[in-house]
Amino acid sequence: MKKTLLALALVGTSFGAQANAPGGPGCGWGNMVFEGQSGMPVHLVATIVNGTSGNKTFGMTSGTNGCDTSGALAYHGENMLAQQGVMEEVAQDMAVGDGEALTALSVSMGIAPEDRGRFKQTMHENFSSIFSQEDVTADEVMSNIRSVMKSDETLATYS
Amino acid sequence: MKGIFTLLALLVAGSAVAAQASESGLADHPRWKALLHINQGTTWRYQGRSYVDDPDFFLHEDGATEPQAELEANIEQLRPPESEARCRFPARYRFLSQQLDWTDDGGLSHCADYVEWRKAMPQARVALIFPASYLNSPSSMFGHTLLRLDRGNDEDGVWLSRAINFGATVGGEENSILYIYKGLVGGYPGYFSNVPYMNKIRDYAHLENRDMWEYQLNLNESEREWLVAHLWELQDIRFDYLFLDENCSFRLLELIALTRPESDLMDSFRIAEIPVNTVRALDESGFIESSKYRPSKAKELDALIQRLSEVEKDLALGLSQEERVSETEAFQALAPKRRHLVARTAYAYLRLNNREGERTQDVAARSLALLRLVNRTPSVKEIEPERPVSPKKGHGTKMIAATGGTMGESGFGEFQARLSYHDWLDAPAGFLKGATIEAFNLQVRKAESDDLALERLDVVNVRSLAPRNQFRKPVSWFVNVGLDRRFIGNKRHLTRQVQGGGGLSWALGPVMPYAYATGRAENNSAHDPFVSTAAGAKTGILWYAGAFQAGLDAEGLYYQNDDVSFTASATLNLPLGSDHAIRASIEREGGRERAETEFSLSWRYYFD
Repeated sequence: MKKTLLALALVGTSFGAQANAPGGPGCGWGNMVFEGQSGMPVHLVATIVNGTSGNKTFGMTSGTNGCDTSGALAYHGENMLAQQGVMEEVAQDMAVGDGEALTALSVSMGIAPEDRGRFKQTMHENFSSIFSQEDVTADEVMSNIRSVMKSDETLATYS
Repeated sequence: MKGIFTLLALLVAGSAVAAQASESGLADHPRWKALLHINQGTTWRYQGRSYVDDPDFFLHEDGATEPQAELEANIEQLRPPESEARCRFPARYRFLSQQLDWTDDGGLSHCADYVEWRKAMPQARVALIFPASYLNSPSSMFGHTLLRLDRGNDEDGVWLSRAINFGATVGGEENSILYIYKGLVGGYPGYFSNVPYMNKIRDYAHLENRDMWEYQLNLNESEREWLVAHLWELQDIRFDYLFLDENCSFRLLELIALTRPESDLMDSFRIAEIPVNTVRALDESGFIESSKYRPSKAKELDALIQRLSEVEKDLALGLSQEERVSETEAFQALAPKRRHLVARTAYAYLRLNNREGERTQDVAARSLALLRLVNRTPSVKEIEPERPVSPKKGHGTKMIAATGGTMGESGFGEFQARLSYHDWLDAPAGFLKGATIEAFNLQVRKAESDDLALERLDVVNVRSLAPRNQFRKPVSWFVNVGLDRRFIGNKRHLTRQVQGGGGLSWALGPVMPYAYATGRAENNSAHDPFVSTAAGAKTGILWYAGAFQAGLDAEGLYYQNDDVSFTASATLNLPLGSDHAIRASIEREGGRERAETEFSLSWRYYFD
């Protein structure tokens, strides 16, 4: 078991299907968890030796809010947004109109470099309909993004 | 015809001889040694053998200590086409097939898992990442390093890159003393991990408030190939994790040395691998192409705050508590771009304060409301924090100093040696301002009237000034363990002491005032009880002028047995280039019966 998990930690989860659909109903804006180490001595040593407490599968700690923490090797929009903590960054970038998280989302959705400016601008203009309410989930955000893209002639080709 | 056969036979025999010949030297080949992680005298432990104890890493039972036997076992097992062992050790296969000229044997095409993994792993660029130390956390103070593998294009950014990290695995059940002991002296197993780089950005820059430095390496395609193929060989291989030398940074150095075994990276002996020295070693050996600064969330907030007027700061604070502040006249009176800045500051502040743990409904609602406000106001560009001096350009981490001076009537000469790292009056470029991190700082003094004597030994001396402002209210602290001297009665006694304290500090431009409440426990030969305890206060001010650093400090301690001690000092440090400094100091120190004034002038040399 240990070895398998470790192998997964190094390899990522490019092999096989993921056990849970990422970004399930538990992964939402309202119950976002920002995971840190807890407990002072544990944290102290974990920082000193740059490891983690708990098991050997660091990088694969399971999220407590239903977000994806598998550390996948490849992304396709949905699972990118469902990575723990990513939605917060994407939201901030959309509100402002640019940023690394939004760029990464566009890359993971396969949007060509020449269309990314338009993608960002469109997301910026539709921010309040994409992040429609405070308990919106990653799934809902993604489907809102896709429906906004559908009504844009250039971006419609990607959705 | 016969002649041709003879020629062919000769050629075949010749190539067999050639293979034999190259085989005989192969076990000493620098790359083979690098692939087996053989210690070639770079650190104390395990010299001449592999750092790896894990039997899964070797094909011969004595592979860890016998590179030649391991080589032979590898040749035997990797040679057959469709060999399973090739799929476990693709880098070793690459090495042997190149050296022994194995051609047309199918390569690694039968290794489906490996081939799939390779397709998914980015490898267009490699960067060394240095998350710097963060304010007020002792355990991070030496920083950390990891590797990043990029998919390639600048316009894609690095959020989808992979992070390669070497870290210890800390068990869950042990008590805290054991944690610290094992963390320091070893005893935890260390593994490589491969995780999304965005997780690392989140952990360091967002959760722990550490600035990150990203150093792009100039590895070419073939060199990167060695690295990635070897990473596959390292999955679930157990190393020992030793805090001082065989740590996160050293293991990365080994990985990078594998890509260019002819480099001088592993030539010098390394007592302790301080992460910033890893960066410098790579720089000196010509691996670093460019560097990029990634500020932490805290730095981003500071940069925003700096752009606001006092009125705007108050509005931002109010706004972070209640979104309704955006409807007030004061807010509405601001120009649209100023409203944007205030809203962003409020959001950044709320985000920083709630960066850990589960977000409440209330915070979720306020965050979203603030982002909508940000979204409704015109964006302001170029509000990135200013890029500080790269840590690789800071002064050397080891230091020796020669000091001359007088104390009272008597002249003295002093020698000082410090293993690491920085005190808050040393040149701040590349380090954290207002932080002292010293380990093994030794001062020996020869006074006219006395024999050569130990003046001071700091085993650990850590001081951290975390400036407070309207938005951020951190507590500053210090801790010092070691030996020092102070007046007890008429004589200066050597004391074995532990002291520490908590306090407050502020940053007013280049000036940082501070005040601590302090406690001290000591053992000395003049007092009856084995341990004397004292409480007191310490206050002072640091001034980071462009060309020099200056400090004023005053401290008083009142002992349980009615003894007292005090010191007051003024110090000026003048850096001369990045390797030298002149330091002048006046200090008044005393106790119940006697006090003396000391003048001193030192020359400090920083190296390594």
